[in-house]
Amino acid sequence: MSSQRETARGFPARFNIPGTRVLALVLATAVVAYLAWKIGQSPPQALQFAFNGIAVGAVYALLAMGFTLVYSTVWFFDLYYGAAAALGAYGVFYLRTATALGSRADVNNVYVNAVFAAVVGGVVAWVLYTLLHPRLRGRFTPNTIGVASGLLGGGAGAYTGIVLAFPENLHLTLSPAIGVVVAAAAIVVPFWAVQTFVPNIRLSRFTAIAGLPAVVIGAWCGYLTAGAPGAGLYLSWAVSCLLAGCVGLALYRGLYMYMRERARSPLIMLVASLGILLAVAAFIVIVFEAAPRPLPTAFGSETWKIAGARIKGFNIFAIGVALAGFAILWLLLKQTSFGRAVRAIGDDEEVSKVVGINTTVIIAGVFFIGAMYAALAGILTGHDTAVQPRMGLLLLLKGWIASVVGGIGNLYGAIVGGFVLGVVEQFGIWDLAGEWKDAIAFVLLILFLSFWPQGLLPRR
Amino acid sequence: MPVDMQRIRELPALVRNPREMARHARSNVELWANILVIGGAIAFMLWQGAGFAVIVGTVFAIWAILSVSLNLVVGFTGLLSVGHIGFFGVGAYTMAILTSSPEYEQLRTEAIPTFGWPFFAALPVCALLAGLAAIIVGIVFNRFRDDIFVLVSFGFAIISFNVFLNWRAVTRGAFGIHEIARPEIGDWRFDGDVEFLLLCLAFLAVVMLISWFVVSSSFGRVLTAIREDEQAIEVFGYQATHYKLAVWVISAMMAGIAGGLFSSWTTFIDPNSFILLESVLLVAIVILGGLATIWGSLLGAMAFVLLEEGMRFIPFLPTEYIGQARQVVLGILLVLLMLFRPQGLVGRYRL
Repeated sequence: MSSQRETARGFPARFNIPGTRVLALVLATAVVAYLAWKIGQSPPQALQFAFNGIAVGAVYALLAMGFTLVYSTVWFFDLYYGAAAALGAYGVFYLRTATALGSRADVNNVYVNAVFAAVVGGVVAWVLYTLLHPRLRGRFTPNTIGVASGLLGGGAGAYTGIVLAFPENLHLTLSPAIGVVVAAAAIVVPFWAVQTFVPNIRLSRFTAIAGLPAVVIGAWCGYLTAGAPGAGLYLSWAVSCLLAGCVGLALYRGLYMYMRERARSPLIMLVASLGILLAVAAFIVIVFEAAPRPLPTAFGSETWKIAGARIKGFNIFAIGVALAGFAILWLLLKQTSFGRAVRAIGDDEEVSKVVGINTTVIIAGVFFIGAMYAALAGILTGHDTAVQPRMGLLLLLKGWIASVVGGIGNLYGAIVGGFVLGVVEQFGIWDLAGEWKDAIAFVLLILFLSFWPQGLLPRR
Repeated sequence: MPVDMQRIRELPALVRNPREMARHARSNVELWANILVIGGAIAFMLWQGAGFAVIVGTVFAIWAILSVSLNLVVGFTGLLSVGHIGFFGVGAYTMAILTSSPEYEQLRTEAIPTFGWPFFAALPVCALLAGLAAIIVGIVFNRFRDDIFVLVSFGFAIISFNVFLNWRAVTRGAFGIHEIARPEIGDWRFDGDVEFLLLCLAFLAVVMLISWFVVSSSFGRVLTAIREDEQAIEVFGYQATHYKLAVWVISAMMAGIAGGLFSSWTTFIDPNSFILLESVLLVAIVILGGLATIWGSLLGAMAFVLLEEGMRFIPFLPTEYIGQARQVVLGILLVLLMLFRPQGLVGRYRL
């Protein structure tokens, strides 16, 4: 099954002209020996490059994880993914750039707010309807459920519009939402724990008991947020991740789903998502400008010197985010029923439909999560360097390369591939100028596809 | 445009029956696409006058050469290449370096090799060097198909842009190369825009003729077979990789000629003309016009140029956003095409 699929998707067989593999091996050994010699010459510099590589690799790993999640579920290259990275980074820019820089005040735009409010409203309405309809089918008519979820979705859209319209008061506008989310988590997590560890308990009674403290905790968290204007930057991260995720979900539900039913080949999907990438990139240039812009400084901009290497605190944070992202995705994919469904759809969508998996919902969730990971990677890149409209396509390609290097469709491969790509890129520019980075990444990709097409850790 | 003899024979009967004709016309997307684009072009020429139309015509001719050549690879062979702009750039830089004369040497901050060749001696070298690059790239890329081919061709576009930007000893990097000579035969210089337009159209005709020969020969039929089923054609004893390499090189040589014309026309090039985005736009043109037809590529290039020029007259759109607005429109058009018409406006092959 798996091997058939990989040849069908255009993955080549290994290069088997006699002698090429030996030649490649000799060349690779020579490169490694040369690098070892250089490292021996100046260890601090080598440490610097290695650290830079791991820091960049963290972003690539995040991208590759989301990308491989989406690709191994629907088996086409979704180029919206790059636009999601740019959208995430520009979301933070939109919400948080100080008026002193002369951008946000004239950038804050009613039309943009309305577009995103509509997207979020639609997504919330659809999610509520799909979740509630099977559970309440006996008690209410579909029309009632539809109208109710439509109203709730409209409310969510209006709330999003308000949040986007007053970006300097994120801590105030978002505090009720945070209160509600924390309260819900405070009910759901103990609920899940009790259900798992205590057999035969009446859960409705338990909910009633846990509900009161949950409400208190939620209110307290909301109160804390409302009094902390410094939290605005981190809240804007969350908001722009969620927005990019909602756009991804809306794209799947509104477009890709219909297109996949009639598409003859994955190339159709690729070209369509290329169109979306073009449109979103141009949209970003129209709303903001083409020039690179800095994001406001987050924490950890000071550098430490460790053994002669300069290390930025924010980069360590980025590495932490990548590892946490990996942990969350691992839990989600390997430990929950959602993950089992995702893997089943990746193996065979028709059969998983037959055994009763709601493929639409699951794939929509996959798109949401994938776009959120991309947005997170875009935000980290934006804080590290700057945001520019072209970053989307480049980040997409880097995530693509990292997932091929690691082994496409494999979660462990994605994180390994990301770090490998980052380190190779950084060591590659030791002797060359920094501008060759992208070329080095693609040379690595072509070498891998020629000599090691399955990647470092093949899928199964 | 491929001529369907059956349809032509049915034409008199159709003309005699107006209601039937109206029904045919209403359901005929190709006809409407042709009428819309050509009518738009004529209306534009009448409205704006000849002077402006000449400049727009030159842009159209260069895009048309590129899209006809790319259609050989994308439409007829079925390899979706996003790296075509690299060959265009090779041609443009070859022309710039070969034709710049040593007198300009003093003006330059960074010396690059100069030759001072005439335009018509340099143009074949443009094609040859682009072809040489295509051979090297093609040998590596020949093994990839479908999605993976798209990915590695993205890679070629990025690598070639990096080379143009960073190989300063030859390309002068981000400074670009100025004062590239216009072509001349004897005493007659192609100084005016009209002469250059005619030159570009002549090369467009040559490129179309060559493509037509390629497509309608047995070689072209093998390419179509490779597109439909590569393994099946190999069973019949054809080496698919050789055919793919050959068409790849032919297409790249045409792109090299387009590059030579482009750099001689603008008289200034820098790496920003050869970014990945231009290549993506080129693919959008080819798909918009129609896959696996030569006429479709012309139509696509015409629609693309008209789209930009037409947007100048939208009242509320600021001038600096025209390129971006066109990009938004193209992106949405691509999505709509993939939904409802995967072969493009007048295409013969569904992606």
